[in-house]
Amino acid sequence: MAHLDIRGLVARYNNATVLDGIDLSIERGEIVSLIGPSGSGKSTLLRVISGLLPPRAGTVALAGETINYADRRSLRRSRDKLAIVFQQYNLFGNMNVLRNVMVAPVTIQKRDKKTVEAEACALLAKVGLADKLNAYPDELSGGQQQRVAIARALCLKPDILLLDEVTSALDPERVGEVLDTVKMLAADNMTLLIVSHEMGFVREVSHRVAFMADGKIQEMGPPAQIFGTPQQPRTQAFVSRILGH
Amino acid sequence: MHYVLHYGQIAPYLPYLMGGMAISLALSILSFIGGMVLGLFFAVIRNEGHPVAGRLVRIYVAFFTNTPQLVQIYVIYFGLPDFGILFSPFAAVLIGMTLNAAAYLTEILRAGLSTVHAQELDAAETLGMNRLQTLRHVTLPHLFKVAMPALTNQYILMTLGTSMAAIFGVEELTGRAFNINSTTFRSIEIFTTVAALYVVVTFIATILLALVGRWAFRARVPVL
Repeated sequence: MAHLDIRGLVARYNNATVLDGIDLSIERGEIVSLIGPSGSGKSTLLRVISGLLPPRAGTVALAGETINYADRRSLRRSRDKLAIVFQQYNLFGNMNVLRNVMVAPVTIQKRDKKTVEAEACALLAKVGLADKLNAYPDELSGGQQQRVAIARALCLKPDILLLDEVTSALDPERVGEVLDTVKMLAADNMTLLIVSHEMGFVREVSHRVAFMADGKIQEMGPPAQIFGTPQQPRTQAFVSRILGH
Repeated sequence: MHYVLHYGQIAPYLPYLMGGMAISLALSILSFIGGMVLGLFFAVIRNEGHPVAGRLVRIYVAFFTNTPQLVQIYVIYFGLPDFGILFSPFAAVLIGMTLNAAAYLTEILRAGLSTVHAQELDAAETLGMNRLQTLRHVTLPHLFKVAMPALTNQYILMTLGTSMAAIFGVEELTGRAFNINSTTFRSIEIFTTVAALYVVVTFIATILLALVGRWAFRARVPVL
């Protein structure tokens, strides 16, 4: 059974179709990356999966259970298993680092505060921020904020992590530290769906790469195929343009 | 013109004035809390863009911000008894101040709500927070932080505005000052003392509001 199974997914912003029939199946522990030009629907796909934009058609199933996006309880169950990290970090500005990480497990999952605190500290140490527990987001660099966001998502103990262009808002010097963190997750066998413009990184960590354009997955395959011998003309044009730079 | 100040003459009345201050404080605190609850409710309605309820809130705000508070309390205290609804002076002033404050606070809180970052709301949603949890953990702390100066100003205005309760016979700080003045005729001493007491009260209120913001919502607001 696929860990994340997407069938015929359609989504629209107002009247514009941004996802036009997405089929994507991801196995447990698999790392799939979405690449493609801006506006191709990559981030929208993650927004739909995580319930921020209701789909117009199609289904998303997590470990065999179809998510009913109109039902808050179904959505709530899906959020126990699935977490998302955003491009702009989206940390809570009024909370320090530790509380940003702890707030959801304690108040939503109702887990024991002491246990969560220990886990949060361990996670923050893992992403190299053990000395920033009491700092506020606006006191951190972009890379540090993004690592807090990753720790916050991980503290929910998700089965699947969605990463939405987690390095796009960072200056080049900070990209490496976040990518190292993601590589660490990949080594932990977590199921990852990644939207990224970092082609070197995508090539290195992904099991499969999907090229998206016009709201559709145009081509999908192992990194060697997508970057080495792309089959579709649009993929070829995109890859040659990206790798040409 | 030869007037000698004799603050000593009003010293015996200080406990009496402090009692009046307590009544002033009760009026301002209760009406501020009531106004905050109503104002937050109305601000959320307006922010959600509900067509009918949103318009009703706009009418309410327009009415209460475009008529004098004194007239509003007159209507409650002298007008409503014609319909068989009677309030004590204290209750009439409290209701009038609360309804008036709600209108101003609606606008203050609505402006604050519109500055909550959409990204933080997205994060709250995907972390699984329901609307109440989002309000409690994300929206209100942010709101308290950005709106604190305006809220503090509003509270100070309300505290000073409690002096109009004297007109309706409520023996709050100014009301008691009138009483002392009519027996001692030491107007300068009495009213400068009362003015100083208002300064002390509003100063303490500013600090308390900041502390409440920190304690209740972990809002990062400077105490002074």
